[in-house]
Amino acid sequence: MRNHILLYINQQRIEARDNHAFMSLSDFIRLHLRQTGTKVVCAEGDCGSCTVLLGRIVDKQIRYEPVCSCIQYLYQLDGTHVINVEGLTYDAELNPVQQSMVACQGAQCGYCTPGFVVAMHQLFEDGQSRNEAAVKRALTGNLCRCTGYDPILKAARETDMSKMRRIAELFPIEKISSELSAAANDPVQINYAGKTFFKPTVISDACRFRAGHPDCTLITGGTDIGVQVNKGIRQITAVMNLHGVSQRSIEIKNDYLLAGAGATLTELFRACEEYFPEFANLLDIFGSPLIRNAGTLAGNLANGSPIGDTLPPLFVMNAEIELTGINGSRWVNINSFYVGYRKTIMGEDELITAIKIPLPKPDEIVKFYKVSRRRDLDISTFAAAIFLRLSGKLIHEIRIALGGVGPVVLRLSKTESALTNQLFTEDAMLEASNLALSEITPITDVRGSANYRNRLAANTLLRFYHDITGQPSNGNGHPKSPPDHGDNGRDSSSFILQASSLISNPHPTPPPEYKGREGEGDGRDGHSSSSNIQRSALSSNPPSEQKESE
Amino acid sequence: MKHVGQNVPHDSAHLHVTGKSTFIDDMPPLHGEVCVGIVPCPKAHAKILSIDTTAAKQIPGVLAILAAADIPGHNRFGPVVQDEYLLAEKEAVFIGHPLALIVAENKEALLAARKAVKFQLEELAPIFTIDDAIKASSFLGNQRLIQRGDVDKAFASAPHTLTGTFDIGGQEHFYLESQVALAVPGEDNTFTIHSSTQHPSEVQTLVAEILAVRFNHVTVICKRMGGGFGGKETQAAQPAMFAALAAHVTRRPARFVYSKDDDMRFTGKRHPFKAFYKTAFTDQGEILAVDTQLYSNGGCSTDLSFAVLERAMLHNDNAYFIPHFRVTGRVCKTNLPSNTAFRGFGGPQGVAAMENLIEEIAHTLKIDALDIRQTNCYGRRSEFPSPCNQGEGKGGGPIAGCVPPPPPSPGIPGEREITPYGQTIANNTLPRLFETLRKDSDYDRRRDEIDQFNQHSRTQLRGMSLTAVKFGISFTRRTLNQANALVNIYVDGSVVISTGATEMGQGVNTRIRQLAADELGLPLSSIRLMPTNTEKNNNTSPTAASSGTDLNGAAALDACQKLKGRLAPIAAKMLADQAGGLHAEPDHIRFLAGRVFDDRRPAKTIDFQQVICHAYELRINLGERGFYATPGVDFNRDTGKGHPFLYYTNGGACTEVLINRFTGEMKLARVDLLMDLGQSINPGIDRGQVTGAFIQGVGWVTTEELVYSAQGNLLSYSPTTYKIPNISDLPDVFNVSWIDNPDNHVSLLRSKSVGEPPLLLGISAFTAVKNALSYLGEESMKIALPATGERILLAMPARTAKPSTYVPAPAK
Repeated sequence: MRNHILLYINQQRIEARDNHAFMSLSDFIRLHLRQTGTKVVCAEGDCGSCTVLLGRIVDKQIRYEPVCSCIQYLYQLDGTHVINVEGLTYDAELNPVQQSMVACQGAQCGYCTPGFVVAMHQLFEDGQSRNEAAVKRALTGNLCRCTGYDPILKAARETDMSKMRRIAELFPIEKISSELSAAANDPVQINYAGKTFFKPTVISDACRFRAGHPDCTLITGGTDIGVQVNKGIRQITAVMNLHGVSQRSIEIKNDYLLAGAGATLTELFRACEEYFPEFANLLDIFGSPLIRNAGTLAGNLANGSPIGDTLPPLFVMNAEIELTGINGSRWVNINSFYVGYRKTIMGEDELITAIKIPLPKPDEIVKFYKVSRRRDLDISTFAAAIFLRLSGKLIHEIRIALGGVGPVVLRLSKTESALTNQLFTEDAMLEASNLALSEITPITDVRGSANYRNRLAANTLLRFYHDITGQPSNGNGHPKSPPDHGDNGRDSSSFILQASSLISNPHPTPPPEYKGREGEGDGRDGHSSSSNIQRSALSSNPPSEQKESE
Repeated sequence: MKHVGQNVPHDSAHLHVTGKSTFIDDMPPLHGEVCVGIVPCPKAHAKILSIDTTAAKQIPGVLAILAAADIPGHNRFGPVVQDEYLLAEKEAVFIGHPLALIVAENKEALLAARKAVKFQLEELAPIFTIDDAIKASSFLGNQRLIQRGDVDKAFASAPHTLTGTFDIGGQEHFYLESQVALAVPGEDNTFTIHSSTQHPSEVQTLVAEILAVRFNHVTVICKRMGGGFGGKETQAAQPAMFAALAAHVTRRPARFVYSKDDDMRFTGKRHPFKAFYKTAFTDQGEILAVDTQLYSNGGCSTDLSFAVLERAMLHNDNAYFIPHFRVTGRVCKTNLPSNTAFRGFGGPQGVAAMENLIEEIAHTLKIDALDIRQTNCYGRRSEFPSPCNQGEGKGGGPIAGCVPPPPPSPGIPGEREITPYGQTIANNTLPRLFETLRKDSDYDRRRDEIDQFNQHSRTQLRGMSLTAVKFGISFTRRTLNQANALVNIYVDGSVVISTGATEMGQGVNTRIRQLAADELGLPLSSIRLMPTNTEKNNNTSPTAASSGTDLNGAAALDACQKLKGRLAPIAAKMLADQAGGLHAEPDHIRFLAGRVFDDRRPAKTIDFQQVICHAYELRINLGERGFYATPGVDFNRDTGKGHPFLYYTNGGACTEVLINRFTGEMKLARVDLLMDLGQSINPGIDRGQVTGAFIQGVGWVTTEELVYSAQGNLLSYSPTTYKIPNISDLPDVFNVSWIDNPDNHVSLLRSKSVGEPPLLLGISAFTAVKNALSYLGEESMKIALPATGERILLAMPARTAKPSTYVPAPAK
């Protein structure tokens, strides 16, 4: 049993003990190492000023991805290699991203700049340029208040790719990765000032620890836990890092996708791009790349927020969750996993170990929606998933799940029954939307009023109808519509179902901007985290918040 | 070799990109440094019955807990009216109002003490909104008025009138670096304050007053800010006062840093406004009269609210000549943190009120809003026939029967170039901006396309709007239009410049460096701009009102010119060649590229440093103070008349939006910006100011909503819930350009200030939404600012009826 956390920060080997194990990465870097290029603004993963590269061992190699260091705690980081802006200069010279940022006036006040530099360096690490859409998606986790981003995009365009160096050229990563790989097999335990940290390497140890520590915080990505700790909502007494017992793999079987509990949302996004593009589109606006690179699907499910972006899709797909406890494993349908606001059926010793998501078949139509105040790096005000199977023009089966309209994600069973065996027409959907309203109980909170959520819920059924029956009707010069926005005008009399080509094609060509991207966060993103500090002032209902974490 | 006009990188850029630039919270802890925190009042309005700090003081590590009575000097302060109490005395007037100040050895003790301070409050009825304040007659100061003509008479005979109300939201600055200060006590009761402030002299004044010391005991230093945007003009002072009080009682260095959450909850914002408006106009869309009552939400104290209101009133006309004009203004007193300066300083609210009204006139008359704008633009003649598209519209020529107006005669302002407050608009580029942008943005073709699209699409709506800005440059408080600069030359030929300008990312130091480099004929590498320091520059004005470069750059140039005046005779003697017939003539001495020469014989040059060394030997003063006071500006608040601005920075924006009809989500499809920046000192930095300000303006009018609970708690107090624009919110097409205008003779090297004006162009995103909604009918157009997705969706008719009833007739 190791009694310290082992990690590298830039060239420096660090054994973190005692109170250091319970520090946030950004505090450790700024206060302990006194490297102040990493700035902290929001301390909740929603601005990217603290962006660092997190290198984790995947298949014996280190994979580097940008994350928010303010919500990563050292207890999550055993066996990792962290690189901050101080680690990215080339022999004391500015790297090509830095040179371009200087030349293109990409920095004004300079506070967000190191975060942008780190994220952009990783985007261009392979020396390949990216189109503007890909650059934007990679940078949605980084906020800038001065430049209006345009100079930063220019800097991205004008970076001299031929001078980019790989991380492997900057650091002795062979040596680092062999040491970290070996250390990955060690369980770690640290007790300090009444706090306990445990990193098991065997699942049964994990289950026993959980059972023995009812107040235990479970953590892998921790993109919400970190926020709760930073904002004083959660006190850490016992914390268990599950990286040593969580599978990171994602397997595609015949008709389902099997994700290990350690798989990040970025990894899930990549798998879905090919096999479940509709889900990939939604994951693409989940948090930001900085959040998705750390957060996991298992965490999002365990966190159980009624506005968790991933929940409605999994509800309509009848996803199954594998729970493992001291006495073995069981599979549970997600539709019966939640029993109340952030309450699940998990036993005191159980952990989520895998998630099985059925993939849509060629005759199944699925659409996933997220509505938020800002498209990217935001939490849902409202989320919806609809699954449809037609028999001719009749609705053979329909499943509707809505998030953000009640204390849990809701399946609209009455609406579903009423629509079954109806003709799939605009009128039928319009009528069903009235019934749908009777099944939901939205609240007013900081993200939107109950009235707004009701309107969104009612419109969703119509939107779904238009989206799957619509044809592009763009005139010349029509602005490129955002992927999130529905198709254009349709007229109900001209309804022709465009069969499976409109639908979730299981083997689509990825959009061009994704091609050849093996690495890091593509992404626009969506939301992250947040705290449920007294926002109930406008309502007696519990606040709707989405979080990822476990 | 000229540096002015070049895209010179920001002078801190190489530090910013490597993370080496030091902000106050990056400074290593000083020996013995203590932590400082406040006990924030949890109620918006309360009588303080008791505060008990006994238990808190017992906590190990707690060094002191101060209440109002422990303050050695004035607890009451304010930049204009002293009506704010740093620590609440009898009454707390906003959530976050400090009840006590805690000084502790470490954060843990600080947090424990905060919980242990006991207090009893008696809640009083709070007021939060403008409506409630009006009802309760809760105001700060008196009503203000600017008027011209006979508004009442104009309404009595007008063919059309229109009335309405318009709610305009506030805005959080969201500078990334939260408010912060570090106070270091020195010998003899002196204090050095490192403050992230746009106004070091204000911090110096307030710290001295709260500690009851003379100003010469307090030195304030600001190297740089991680963004300011007006939020650190007056309100950087509170953190500095907290830190200074802690340093005073402990005689140890003390640092006060707001967390982002607390900064957002407890500090002031852009003023929310409400406009009650009435307008009269002709069939052709010529505006005859506008009568507007503006109310601003000032929060709990005056702060800068009067000046913000004044600028809103002075900008209510925006780019339009309105013969009969009346605007009144009143500041509401509410129980919110005192609202304060924010880029634009009231101008955006005044302009939004006008541009909102123009969209409604356009809808009423079924005339394109751009035609209304051009018809009424300053400098257009009165009989402008509409719709007459200036030869650039549909069909490519004037409509038969329309007489195109004569081109505005350059340089000679006409009757229709006089503002309601009496200032004549010189060098008026507004008509040209409208015309050029209409053409460059392909407005008319796109308008046709949007008309078509909105007739057919049932899933999306498009809207487009082209608005302008005419932003007055100068502080409306005349006194502030002054600056001093200190230029020192060392014997190695290097130069340091200190001014009162503070660097918040806007590049003021870079611009001054360029100006000085050209004036002294030196490479940029010879010149450094020093941290702003009240010891070097006294009685400075805030870096605000877009005036940082204009004022401080001019003062620095003045100093450089005086130095050259002393160096030229020395160089003349050094270069003179009596035998060759070249007599020493200081007027012929030139400084260029680090060399000095006589322009009658430019082949012979000497090194700048040689001249300096020689001057030093001769005991010549190699340091100089420069000074500048803006000539001519004056404004009489009582009469509402005068010449408040040195000049105007103008611009235009054409913004097209795309709205999802099912969700109300909105996206910028295309934006074309066109600015008149005179002769730019640094086009790269100016461009960044334009795009940055514009996007910040777009945030204000779209996604940035301040949401409060019924008790006055700000619910959108962190980036999780308060959404500033993201990189993916940039328009799909974003064109930025400027017109060539060499005729702004009144300003520094014919440049124009750029910091604030483009923010007001963000309003075009709001009016574009309004334009889109106008296709659904008059009722749908009534939308408050910001136009959030929620407001847009709820403005549209509910989709419960048959499709045919919600597809409207086109607006035209």
